[in-house]
Order: sequence, then C-alpha cells, then structure tokens
Amino acid sequence: MKHLKPVNNKAHTLTKAVAEDQVEEVVAMQSIAGCTATTDPGWEIDAFGGVTSLCQPMESDLYGCADPCWWPAQVPDMMNTYPDWNEKAANSADNWRNLGTVFPADKD
Amino acid sequence: MKKFKLPRLTGGLLLAGMILPTGAVQASDAETIIQNKCVACHTEEKAEPLQMSRMSHQRKTPEGWLMTIARMQVMHGLEVTDDERRTLVKYFADKQGLAPEETEGSRYAMERRLNTMESFESTSFEEMCSRCHSGARVKLQRRPASEWEHLVHFHLGQWPTLEYQAMSRDRDWMDLAFKQMVPELAADFPLQSASWDKWQSVKSVPVSGSWSFSAQIAGKGDVRGVMSVSGGKDDQYKVSIEGEYADGSALKGSGTAIVYTGYEWRANLAVDGVKMRQVFALSADGSELTGRMFEAVHDEAGMDFSAIRTGSKAKLLSIQPGYIRAGSTEVLTIVGAGLGTKISLGDGIKVVSEMYRDDNKVVVQVTANATAKPGSRDVKAGKAEGAVLNVYDQIDSVKVVPDFAVARVGGNGGSTPKYNAHFQAEAWMNGADGEPGTEDDMRIGFVPAKWHVEPFDAQAEADRDTHFAGRMDEKSGLFTTAGSGPNPERRMSTNNAGNLKVIAEVMEGANALSAEGQMIVTIQRWNNPPLP
Repeated sequence: MKHLKPVNNKAHTLTKAVAEDQVEEVVAMQSIAGCTATTDPGWEIDAFGGVTSLCQPMESDLYGCADPCWWPAQVPDMMNTYPDWNEKAANSADNWRNLGTVFPADKD
Repeated sequence: MKKFKLPRLTGGLLLAGMILPTGAVQASDAETIIQNKCVACHTEEKAEPLQMSRMSHQRKTPEGWLMTIARMQVMHGLEVTDDERRTLVKYFADKQGLAPEETEGSRYAMERRLNTMESFESTSFEEMCSRCHSGARVKLQRRPASEWEHLVHFHLGQWPTLEYQAMSRDRDWMDLAFKQMVPELAADFPLQSASWDKWQSVKSVPVSGSWSFSAQIAGKGDVRGVMSVSGGKDDQYKVSIEGEYADGSALKGSGTAIVYTGYEWRANLAVDGVKMRQVFALSADGSELTGRMFEAVHDEAGMDFSAIRTGSKAKLLSIQPGYIRAGSTEVLTIVGAGLGTKISLGDGIKVVSEMYRDDNKVVVQVTANATAKPGSRDVKAGKAEGAVLNVYDQIDSVKVVPDFAVARVGGNGGSTPKYNAHFQAEAWMNGADGEPGTEDDMRIGFVPAKWHVEPFDAQAEADRDTHFAGRMDEKSGLFTTAGSGPNPERRMSTNNAGNLKVIAEVMEGANALSAEGQMIVTIQRWNNPPLP
C-alpha cells in the first residue's frame, strides 16, 4: 500500500480501515442463506458491512457485472446462461424495469 | 496475505419464480419422458431398471430436482411441458430423494427462511460453496465423488470468471476444488447412505384426516386452527385450513397438496385471498406435520407451523400465549390433540374456569399467584403434554428477533417484489444472577413493542437512509422497503439502500426497555430459485 495514495473517499475509507486493522471486523457476510459472501464486493453488502461502498446506483454498472457473471447466483449471468437478459433494457439506468426474473415461472 | 474473517450476518431474499407444482402427476410416464427427451445428452447405462448417466447418480429434495430440470430447460434447451416437469420432479424426488434426517439442519432453505444465518464447520466449504449461494443448496444433495467432480467442471465452464474472484485468484482454486473439496463433499454428502436405504423400506402413511395446528407469525402473533386433508391418490390431496389469530380474527383458505419422498408435504393455497405455500415434513409415524407456511410472493411473511393428526395421539402443540405474569389473570388457549379434561399448569397457576373446548383447543381463564416462582411449567390436558408455560415476575430485557436482517428494495414498476422485513420483540428475565445476557436468562416470549429505525452509523445518517430506505410500522414491526431503481433525489442517484438500526421499545411498568437490531436494506435479486 505504501506506493499507492488514496484519491477518493472510498479509497480513504479503505486506507483508514486497513491502518486501524478493522478489516477483519468489518468485512461482512460470511454465509447468509443465498447472499454473496466474499465476492468482492458482495452483491448485498460492501466490505464494511454497509451499503455505501457498493457500486451504486447498481443500475449504473449492472452489465459490467452481469456480463462477466460476477454474482451469478443473484444476477443473471449474460456470458453463458442468459445472454438475452437485457435485450429490452440496453440502458440499464433507464430501462431497468424491463429486466425480468429468470427462474421459470410455473403455470400452476 | 491476511485471511479475512467475516462476521456472520443473516439475509433476507426475495421470492419470485417457480414454486413446486401440486398438480396432476402420472409417475409412470416419467421414464418415457426421460427416454424421449433426455437421451440427446444423457446415455442409457442400463435398461431394466432404467439407469441413465448423471441423473441416476444423484439424490436431491423436490426443490433440488426442480432446479435441476429447470436448469436443463434454461441452459441446455430441454423442452418439456409443465406437466412433464411435474412428472419428472415427482419421479426423481420419490426415487432419488433424501431421507428425513438427511435434510435436518438444512430445511430452512426449502422453508424459505432467508434470514437464516448459515454457519458451517468447514471453512473450505464456506469459501468454496456458500460464498455465492446458500450452503443448504449443497447440503441438500447427495452424490458420489465423480458427480461432485462434474459439478466443479460445470461451475467452471458455466461461470469461468469465478477463477478471478476473491478466494480464487489468490489461491490454487482448481487444486483445492478437485483435491480437497470433492473428497470432502463425497464423504459428507455421499450418494449411498444407511438413512436412505432405511427410508426406502418405510411404508408411507397417507396424510388425509383432520389436523390440529398451532402457528406463530410476526405482526399477528399466535395462530391456531384445523387443517382438513382429503384424497391421497398419487400422493395428491385437497387441503383446507380454518383458524384464528390471537386477536380473534379469522384465517381461512384452501388449495392442493402433494407429498414427495413419502414425507415432503408441499401445498399451494389461497388464504384469505393471498397465495400461500406450505413446506412441511411429515413425521415417520404420520402423526405430525412441521414446517413453515408463507406467502408465495412475499415469502418473508410466513408462520412457523406445527400440526398433529386428530385421533393419532394425545399431545399438546402450544399454549397461547406461552407466558403469564405472576399475580395476573389471563385467558390462555391450549392447542393440541386428544385433550383430556384435567388441565394442569403447574405450581402456583390455577385454572379459574374453562371457557371453551373443542377437539383441538381448550380456552381457560387462569390466575398466576403473586408468589408463583418464575420459571417454566409443563402444561397438561389429561394425557396430552408437550407445551410449556413461562411464569415471570417482570421483563428484565428485550431482544430484537431477528437481530440482523437483510431486506430488499423492489416494486416501483420492476419485476422483483419488495422483500420486506418482519421483526418481533422477545422478552427475557435475568435469571438467578440478576444480569441480562447470561446463560441463566429465561425467555418469556414475544411481546408487543413500539418500533422505529435509526441510522446505523454516521454514513447512514449523512445519506439519510432512514428517509429513503423504507418505513417501519410502529405497531407491527413490519418494515416495508422503498421502491427499486436509481433515486434521483439521492446522492449520485443511488438506490434506496440503507443501513439501519431497528429499535424495539417495550414498556415494563413505567420503564421503557429498548433493544436494538440491524437491518441492511439492499438491492433486489433477479435470480431467485426455490433454494437460495
């Protein structure tokens, strides 16, 4: 870390946490039923046990994450499984309402 | 590199997507479907009895088989009708299911208890499997080493970027997966087991009959009533329930059910106009059903449910409420089956009058002596036992249950419903040492509370999370999350996520006792199969 200097708020927060040895305490979500745990960052919670350091709004960078299947258990991966997931939502920030859930619905 | 030790948190997820069918099933057709539809990829290893590659070498829950077949549809182009899929799920769950004890400790996933904090002895299991999806999804499968190996290959082929995620890029993932994880899984969750061999020889018991039930749900508290089950051909049933909440309001509904593997009860009902789902396990002797009944769309709203077949044996399910204050007179309802006439509630507790009685409950007016010693009492109604009444003199402390919850934004025109959060206030006595939070504390039960949320930390306060993330109902403890999508009113148009303290306030005389939990309000998920 000594060759890197933090230039934004998130980097300052991380640097501070590392300096204070907080990382062990604050990295959240080990194994919650169905939530991401250690994928960095998690889908649900950031490395500090909160939500402010997640990519937010999530829609602004969604496909950058869904394409390389970063959280395939939560977000449809468009690399292999659901290549057409966003065909009606090319711009996720504007068209996020067109993104559907992917597990097939039963007609019961 | 320093190894991260992660605090465990509980999570709440959305239910969307498919629920297990409870419609018509012709199990005899399954092998015909397999031979017609599956042979494009699978090979027949033996004709009689039919043995196919891959599929004949695994055992799973009904939900597990449903996910497998749905995955064949989504990923591999399998074309089956809904009826055919139902037939296949029933066939596989019956023929290659799990024995009841093999599901112990993992039923929360089938029951959609998504605020369950998962904890596993094996760190490698947590780092390899449950970092992306629930560990229960894995623990509810049985395979030989060769099939666990196939599963590793499948993960790597389907999601190749997993190799450059944390816990992969920073260690020899392939080596760990094949040389450590596969043997571990094959040892812990093997295809062959004595439990399964034994279960296959157990004669299945029909579920038809009248069932006395007791339940508990956040917001409305205790529930009791009668569930009537009829039919049974091909393990399919008609079911109706009729009951009442603690406040006297009625609960009524009906629907259809199916039993998989001889004990896995799954029902779809409409209860007071709301689609609900039952996921129960039938006891080996066929006399008891236990599990959870929850809303189909909002599966975070659900009740712990237990039932006993009327006429099977004398047993109590509950006494509602399950506590009484020394020196007070209350109306209590004893719920169960085979309820005898002599009601006994233990030392210092006197039945003043019996107000009502039917086959599944007795309503009594009860006085607890002012000098009744705090502690639990065994409740008896003739030969029926099994319920406990807690006698307390004062509430010393309160806990928020769950003490950590994950809720999700939803709605607002999107495809995913909100995943709200339900909290209850649990009252405790200090016990002999007079200190809260020690081992001798005694749980009293869930009590009414006044609820609100506060920012969890300075960042949450600066971002006004309490304003944006949703609203807490002061009386019921139900937190309704805000809408999904970017919010232009927030900094950087961020989502309505938030990090909140959940605060319950319980009045004990003139003193307010308060308790605190934490709730993360986070973003929706679009991939939401039956097992999280």
